[in-house]
Amino acid sequence: MKLVLSTSNIMQGGRPSVLRQPLTQKSNVELINSLRLNFLASQHIESPPSNGADSNGTNPTITNGCPSWTLHRDDALYIPAIDFTQSGLAEERDQYDITVKLFYLPGIPASRRCAHTREAIDLVLKELHVESIDLLIVSFPGILFDADDDSDEEEYAGDRSGDADDFDSMVQTWRVLESLHEQGSIAQLGVAEFGCDRLARFLPHTKAQPSVDQINLKDCCVVPKSLILYAKQEHIQLLTHNDCNDILPVGTTRELLGPGEKGAGILASAPGATDGIQGDVEPQWVVKYTAVVKDRGVVENKGYFALADVGTCVKARS
Amino acid sequence: MGLLALGTALEWPEAKKKAHQVRQWGIEQLLANWRRAKGKERDALLWGDEVEYLVVALDDAAKKSRLSLAQAEILKSLARDEALWKAGSCKNNEDNGHDGEEPPHFHPEFGRFMLEATPGRPWGIGFKDLLKVESNMKWRREVAKAHMAPNECPITLTTFPRLGTKDDYIQPYYAPSGPALRSQFVPDQIANPHIRFPTLAANIRSRRGRKVELNVPVFKDTNTPTPFKDPTVNYDLYNWPEDADVRNGAAKVDHVYMDAMAFGMGSCCLQITFQAKNMTEGRRLYDQLSPLGPILLALTAATPIYKGFLVDTDVRWNQIGGAVDDRTPEELGEAPLENDRWRIPKSRYASNSTYISQDPRLRKEYFDPDLVVDEDIKKRLMDGGMDELLATHFAHLFIRDPLVIFSEDLEELDLNKADHFENLQSTNWQHMRFKPPPPDKDDVGWRVEFRSMEIQITDFENAAFSIFIVLITRAILSFDLNFYIPIQRTTENMETAHARNAIHDRKFYFRKDPFPRRMPKSTQPSNGSAFSSTTSSAVNTPPPSPPLGPVETEYELMTISDIVNGCADGSFPGLIPLVESYLNSVNVDVETRCFLASYLDLIRKRADGTLWTGARWIREFVAKHPRYQHDSVVSEEICYDLVKAVEEMTAQEGRHGSVGWELLRGKRN
Repeated sequence: MKLVLSTSNIMQGGRPSVLRQPLTQKSNVELINSLRLNFLASQHIESPPSNGADSNGTNPTITNGCPSWTLHRDDALYIPAIDFTQSGLAEERDQYDITVKLFYLPGIPASRRCAHTREAIDLVLKELHVESIDLLIVSFPGILFDADDDSDEEEYAGDRSGDADDFDSMVQTWRVLESLHEQGSIAQLGVAEFGCDRLARFLPHTKAQPSVDQINLKDCCVVPKSLILYAKQEHIQLLTHNDCNDILPVGTTRELLGPGEKGAGILASAPGATDGIQGDVEPQWVVKYTAVVKDRGVVENKGYFALADVGTCVKARS
Repeated sequence: MGLLALGTALEWPEAKKKAHQVRQWGIEQLLANWRRAKGKERDALLWGDEVEYLVVALDDAAKKSRLSLAQAEILKSLARDEALWKAGSCKNNEDNGHDGEEPPHFHPEFGRFMLEATPGRPWGIGFKDLLKVESNMKWRREVAKAHMAPNECPITLTTFPRLGTKDDYIQPYYAPSGPALRSQFVPDQIANPHIRFPTLAANIRSRRGRKVELNVPVFKDTNTPTPFKDPTVNYDLYNWPEDADVRNGAAKVDHVYMDAMAFGMGSCCLQITFQAKNMTEGRRLYDQLSPLGPILLALTAATPIYKGFLVDTDVRWNQIGGAVDDRTPEELGEAPLENDRWRIPKSRYASNSTYISQDPRLRKEYFDPDLVVDEDIKKRLMDGGMDELLATHFAHLFIRDPLVIFSEDLEELDLNKADHFENLQSTNWQHMRFKPPPPDKDDVGWRVEFRSMEIQITDFENAAFSIFIVLITRAILSFDLNFYIPIQRTTENMETAHARNAIHDRKFYFRKDPFPRRMPKSTQPSNGSAFSSTTSSAVNTPPPSPPLGPVETEYELMTISDIVNGCADGSFPGLIPLVESYLNSVNVDVETRCFLASYLDLIRKRADGTLWTGARWIREFVAKHPRYQHDSVVSEEICYDLVKAVEEMTAQEGRHGSVGWELLRGKRN
């Protein structure tokens, strides 16, 4: 079974939880906390007797092993249940810049990316009630700023080097993105954490060239000059971000969904227990979307979806 | 300052008779304009900064710095150039690195030694625009300097340290004690000669019944006499009836005494104006920025010297308040209320007293219980269709009298103009200003002006603070932040910000949790705000459940560092982390982010004490000067050296241990 985790709009109705954390650390706190908050909020509405009118009379009982604040549909469990008829954007589509960043997760075979990409983009389009996005940035697992450019930034690279994407699969993935670009659902494409050399190697293999390279710069102004010059020459915009590389590890996912104080109670507490879904959980991808009102610079909608496989359907990795 | 109309300005006794008419016409203009513009939607964020300069003339041989009264000549020369620019005969801006930027605009100010400069075109939120702000400010300074005499230059000190001393601190020299200001320290020629300005000064004095009175506590250094009696005060002048003020106790012991509008309105400020997408957003920004006013005042503190003495305050604000305080003894509460309509707690130049947003989070406990409102005007506005909140705001501003009235304007009411409305609006100098679109410009929307900041010595700092405020507004709108505190606490904070070194030694009331409450999803309004009547304390809509706690638990005293950088215990997130969190949610290119990082770093370090405020730097400069006698006196020579140092700092910006590194970099290299 697939689990579709969502934060809903994290700009409104809740605190941007990342703020509570020391800002120096690269972190996925925003994703994890906003998922947790959204789970809590959804559980809260469903629980009587707070406000009878809110809950449509449903009880927080477990149906088919899933709590009622989730939604089971077509072999996917939406955590929490999403009502795609709500939300959307307040103004006309052309008022917005919609940026989507898709994180392919470490250890997941590149062969699944075609399906994953379409799945992720579909969810975002449905959530925002739009037909296209302006910029899709993809983050390949295991890449950090290239060693030749900046050797100090390799703190995560060591333990993850085994997962580092090989070049061919990146190019293959890019074909999928190019087809979406061609179909018109994505106006511009971007990559993340590409150094000068990788970019130079990558570009000849692309039909639709990335127009953005997003790099993580906590301490700004240490961008390698070679990259700046090369990006300028190739008309690639260098953008900044502060996402962490391994945004949704298995352990974190298990903790989020498991029993216990911090968990959502989706997964079973022990093998054989009947209080939740049995089996392994394997996060597949995470997507972040941001809708910014163009000429006012206001972030109107921002959120995440994450997808995990769970139970017996967790596919073999090769 | 806006456009300067010409005409016959009425002296106070005449103006007073027409005050009621001007107010009434102003309200009718406001209503007409409000009806026309209330539905304006989707205006872009445009914003502008206003930088004000003192023009100083340096006499290197005599080691003297003086204020230059050459404003008119400089502006004339600048205007000629602007005309040439417009005609396209001047060389292209591509040559000077300002490709695509319009030449800056220069404006007269109250002081004849002042200039104001604004960007040629307002800025947008495009991050590339943010990069241009600092260089544009530097360009303005260059252009201004190019139109001055070789020994003159524009500096951005808030006040000239020796304005109003006994010596020849102005050039050309005029003796004090003229008919308009009647000051024993400054001549009438200190003010812009346009009829508006001397009339404004004279009518304030006349309405008040005596000269304005500024007493700033002197900074008591080791050799400062105790008690300190301002040695520059002349008790034996008999030119004007007002010369008796000092004999009647106007000058207080242990204070530096000043007696003219020029001492306040001669100060330079850094003001930022934003265009909101519609009236609703403008009202929201007006409210949410209001509590930040005193915080930014303390952060930008740069005014430790008046009339040649170190004083015990760090900022200009109350001095301007005193310099334009036209309240009568009755209004001030010094005499029983017989002829005037009400007691008025604040000067026309003061912290703001109203909240105007139709925000469900606005609680009635936040309002000023002492707010003075003209009930007839409020009724007229509400009868005209305006909601009570906004009607109250304007009916509060309109408790004042118009000060400068041109008789030509009283012949016919023109509802397509805003002159009478602006007469009152623009002489209510509160720290926030809510500006309706001008009736004659369709492309301008509802705007909010943030007015509390002190001008900084370098353009790097001025750009940093301007951009910081812009980014805060974006964070407020994006995160739906809530900074509401009872408005009286903001008034108190404004006082607190005056104390010497208030930025580190004092605490300020601030809201503990700025985030919106997460409402149960099914009760979330889809968009916009819902309205319904309520008996609870929320003004606009019922409170979300759970019910609101006591207002007093919503805020607490915090240090500036906590407010700016966040509390160590994580309770308050901090303005800078909020801005960074906002920046992390939008696409910012590397170069811009690096620039922004340097700006945010300056503010972060100002707040935590790593970097000095301008006020601290000036104090230290004086204290370390070999000629300083530790008697609070800032002599001509110290003043000259200070101005020279300021000039150098403007150019070098503290690089490589040059002057001002303590203020700008925190390290010598």
